[in-house]
Amino acid sequence: MNVTLIAVIFVVLAPVIGGLIYGIERKIKARMQQRIGPPILQPFYDFFKLAQKRTFIVHSTHAFLGVMHFVSLWFALAVLVFGGDFILVVYLHLLSTALLIIAGYSTRSVFSHLGSNRLAISALAYEPVLILIAVSLYMVTGSFNISSIATLEEPLLVKMPLAFVALLLVLPIKLKKSPFDVAEAHQEITGGAEIEYSGIFYEFLYTAKWLDYIFAYALVYLFVSSNIFLAITVLILTFLLVNAVDNSTARVDYKQMLKFTFWTALPAALINLLWVTL
Amino acid sequence: MSWLFYSLFLIPLVVSGLILILPKKVNQALIIVTVSVLSAISLYLFSSTTQVVTLHVPDIVNQLIAGVDLLLLLYFGYVAIRHRHVLVGILSVLQLAGAIYVLTIAPHHSEAQFYIDRLSLLMFLLINIVSGIIAVFAIRYIDEENCSEYRKKFFLSVIMWFIGVMNMIVSADNLEYFFLFFELTTLASFLLIGFRKDEISVRNALTALWMNQIGGLAILGAIIYAIFTPEYQQLTFSGLLGNVGTAGLLLPFALLAVAALIKGAQMPFSGWLLGAMVAPTPVSALLHSSTMVKIAPFVILRISPAIKDTQVATVIMLLTAFVFLVAAISALSQDTFKRILAYSTISLLGLMCLLAAAGSETAITAALMLIIFHGISKCMLFLNAGIIEHVYHYKETSQMDRLGELGPFTALAVAIGFMSLLLPPFGGFIGKWFTIESIGSALPALKLTGAFIISAIAIGGAVMALLYFKVTGVLFARSGEQETIRFEQTHPLYRVSIYLLLFLVIGGMLALPVLLPQLFVPVASAITKLEIISEFRGGMLYINQLALPLIPMLIAFLVLPFTIIVSLFIHFRKVDRVKEYTCGEKVDYRFSSLYFSTDKAMPYYIVIGGIFFIALIFVGGML
Repeated sequence: MNVTLIAVIFVVLAPVIGGLIYGIERKIKARMQQRIGPPILQPFYDFFKLAQKRTFIVHSTHAFLGVMHFVSLWFALAVLVFGGDFILVVYLHLLSTALLIIAGYSTRSVFSHLGSNRLAISALAYEPVLILIAVSLYMVTGSFNISSIATLEEPLLVKMPLAFVALLLVLPIKLKKSPFDVAEAHQEITGGAEIEYSGIFYEFLYTAKWLDYIFAYALVYLFVSSNIFLAITVLILTFLLVNAVDNSTARVDYKQMLKFTFWTALPAALINLLWVTL
Repeated sequence: MSWLFYSLFLIPLVVSGLILILPKKVNQALIIVTVSVLSAISLYLFSSTTQVVTLHVPDIVNQLIAGVDLLLLLYFGYVAIRHRHVLVGILSVLQLAGAIYVLTIAPHHSEAQFYIDRLSLLMFLLINIVSGIIAVFAIRYIDEENCSEYRKKFFLSVIMWFIGVMNMIVSADNLEYFFLFFELTTLASFLLIGFRKDEISVRNALTALWMNQIGGLAILGAIIYAIFTPEYQQLTFSGLLGNVGTAGLLLPFALLAVAALIKGAQMPFSGWLLGAMVAPTPVSALLHSSTMVKIAPFVILRISPAIKDTQVATVIMLLTAFVFLVAAISALSQDTFKRILAYSTISLLGLMCLLAAAGSETAITAALMLIIFHGISKCMLFLNAGIIEHVYHYKETSQMDRLGELGPFTALAVAIGFMSLLLPPFGGFIGKWFTIESIGSALPALKLTGAFIISAIAIGGAVMALLYFKVTGVLFARSGEQETIRFEQTHPLYRVSIYLLLFLVIGGMLALPVLLPQLFVPVASAITKLEIISEFRGGMLYINQLALPLIPMLIAFLVLPFTIIVSLFIHFRKVDRVKEYTCGEKVDYRFSSLYFSTDKAMPYYIVIGGIFFIALIFVGGML
C-alpha cells in the first residue's frame, strides 16, 4: 500500500519534479561553463510568465494534438512507474511521440515539418534499443513486467551492463541533448515541432519535456533500483555525464546520429541480449 | 449441413457466370445479395460448427478436377505462346508434365477431399466478409473505368469466382485439389493484374504468373515426393500431418512452404505483388487483404504442427524476419501511396508467416489476429487509395497534402487505417506486441536465431513506425482554421464499404478483450491440438503464461482514436489565430518528407532471399 501511495504521488508530481530537474540542470550546465546560471526555480518562473502571454494558434487540430502529447506521455510514465509491461511502455511512449510528430506535420510551417521529420528519425534511432533492452529484461527476469525487477537480488546493471551502456548512448536523443538534439536544434530549426505553439498550449509541450526527463531517468533507475545508494550515485553520475556531453559536443546531423546508434548502441544491446540468452 | 459448405464453393462460381450474361443493373443487386448471403453463411458456419467437417465428393468430381487442371495448364501454355514469354512457357511445360505424371501414378483412395476445421472457418469469415465488401466497392469503381461494358462484367465475374476458389483452397485436403485451386488463384491474379491490357499491366501480369507457377511446381514436387514415400499413405494434408512423428521426412512440407511463401510475396518473389498495383484498385485490395497473399500464412499454419521446432521452421523464420525488416526499409524510398502499402503488406506477411512457423500457442494466436486485422485494415487502406485516385486524382503521397482539407473523411479513414497497423490500441499493434512477447519467451530455445529474429522485428517495427508517421502526417496537413468540418460525400457504394470497414476496424479493437479468448484462442488451440488456457485475472488477460496488461491497454484504447477523431472536430474559441511563423521570410511552401534511396539495395535483398529459399528446400531434403 505504501509503495503504491508513493508511486501515485510520484506520478502526480512528475511534472513538478521534472521541472526541478530541469532547473538543476540549467544551473549545473551554467557552472560547467563557469557561469552563475539562473535560479533553480527558473523553469517555473518561465512557466508562470508563459501562462500570462496571449495565446496564438495556427489551428485547433494542431493545438489539441499538443495537449494530447502531454496527456499520453504522462500516461506512459504512469505505466512505467507502476511497473507495467515494458513493451507497452515503449509503445505508449511512441504513441505520445507520434502525436507530436503528427502535430508538427499538421501545419504548413517549414520548421515544424523539419522538426517532425527529425523527431521520427530520432524515434527510429532509440526505439529498437529500448525493445532489445525489454527483451533482455525478459531473459533475466522471465517477465516483461517492470515490477519483476524488484524480485532480483542484485541490480539489473550487473546482469545487463551493455544494455545500460546502450541506454546511455541513446539517452541524449531522448532528452534532446547535444550531440543528438537534431529534433529541436534551436539555432537551426528554432525548436522544430514546437515552434508553432504559444501561450497556454506551449505550456503543455514545455511540461511534456519535463515529463520526458523523468521518463528517461526512470529508465536509468530501473537498472539500479535494488540498492538506494547505488541508485542515487548512478543517477547523479548519469545526470552529470549527459550534461557534460551536452556542454562539450556539437550537434551532428541526423544521418550521423542514426549511423552512430545503429553501429554502437544497437550492437551493444544485441550483444547484451545474446549474453543473457546463451 | 454440408450443403452450406458446398454453397460457399458454388454460389460464387454460379454468380460469376450469371454476371457475364445479365444486364448491369441486375448485376449490381446480384453481387450485393450474393456477398451478403456468403457473409451470413460464413458467420453462421463459424458459430455453429463445432467439429471438424470432412466432405467426400463423388468420383466424377475427381475426373472433373483433373480435366480442369489440364485445361488450365494448357491455357498457361497458350499465354506463353501469345506473349512469347519463354519462362512462362518452360514452367507451363514442366507443370503439365508433372501434373500428367501425378495423375497417372497417384494412388486412388476414397479419402475425404475437403477438410474444414476452425482455421478454415476463420478464413471463410475473412474471405467472404472482406472480399464481399471489396466486390461491392468494385461495382462502382469499375464503372468509372475506361473500358467496354463486357470487360467490366468480366472484371466483376473474376472477382466472384476468385472468392469461390479461395473458399475452396482453405478447405482443400487433397493435395491435387489444393494444387488446382492454387493454380486457379494464380490465374485469377494473372487476369486481374493484366486487366488494363496496356504494356506494363501485361508485363506485371506475366511476372505474377511465372512466379506463382514456381509455387505450383513446388506443390507438384511435394505430391510426387509423397507418392514415393511409403510412410505417406494418402495425398492429403491430414494424411501428411498424421505421419509427422514416424516419417520424419520434411521435404514435402518444405516444398509446400516454398509455394506458400511465393504466394506471400516474400523476397525474392516480391516482384509480383509490387507489380499488382497497376491493376484497378479493388484488385490490389483483394490480393493484399483477404485472398491471394493470405494463402501464405494459412498454409504455414496448416503445416505448423509438422514443421514446428524443426530446421525447416528455423529457415522460414529467418527468411521472414529478414523480409519483415528489409521490406519495411525499402518502403522508405517510395512515394507512391499504393507502393508504400504494398511493401508494408510484404513486411507484415513476413511477420505472420514467422509467427505461424514458430508454432507455439501464443505465436499462433498472434498470427491469427494479424491475419484478420491486417486483412481489414489493409483492405480499408487500399479502398481509400482507390477513392483518392479516382475522386481526387492523387497517386503520390507527396501530392496528398491537401487531402485533409478536400476530403477530410478519406484522410481520417486512412489515418485510422495506418494507426491500426501500428500503434496501440489497435489489433495490428497487439499482434506485433504478441510477436515480441511470444518470440521473446521462445528465445532460450532459439538462441542465436531468436536473437536475430527479435532484433529484426524491433528494428523493422521502428522503421515501419517512421514510414507510417510520415504518411499519416501528410493527411493532417491543413492551413489555418476550418470553422466546420464537412465530410465529403463520395458515391454511396464507396461510403458503405468504407463505413463497414471502419466499423470492423474500430469494433474489432473495442471487442478485442472478448474476441481474443472467444475467437482467436480456440482456433489456435484447434491448430496446435493443445489446450490453451485464457482467463482474466486481476486486470490481466492470461494466455497460457503470457500476461497481457488489459487495463492500461483499455485506457490506451481510448486515447488514440479519441485524439485522432476529436482533433479533427475540435474548435477552440476565444483564442487568436495566426499564420505559420517562418522567421519573417517569404517561403514557397511545399510539403516534403524524408526519402531514403533504400531501394538501391533491392538486388541484394533478392539474392539473400533466394539463398534462404534454396536453403529451405535443402534443409527439408536433408532431414
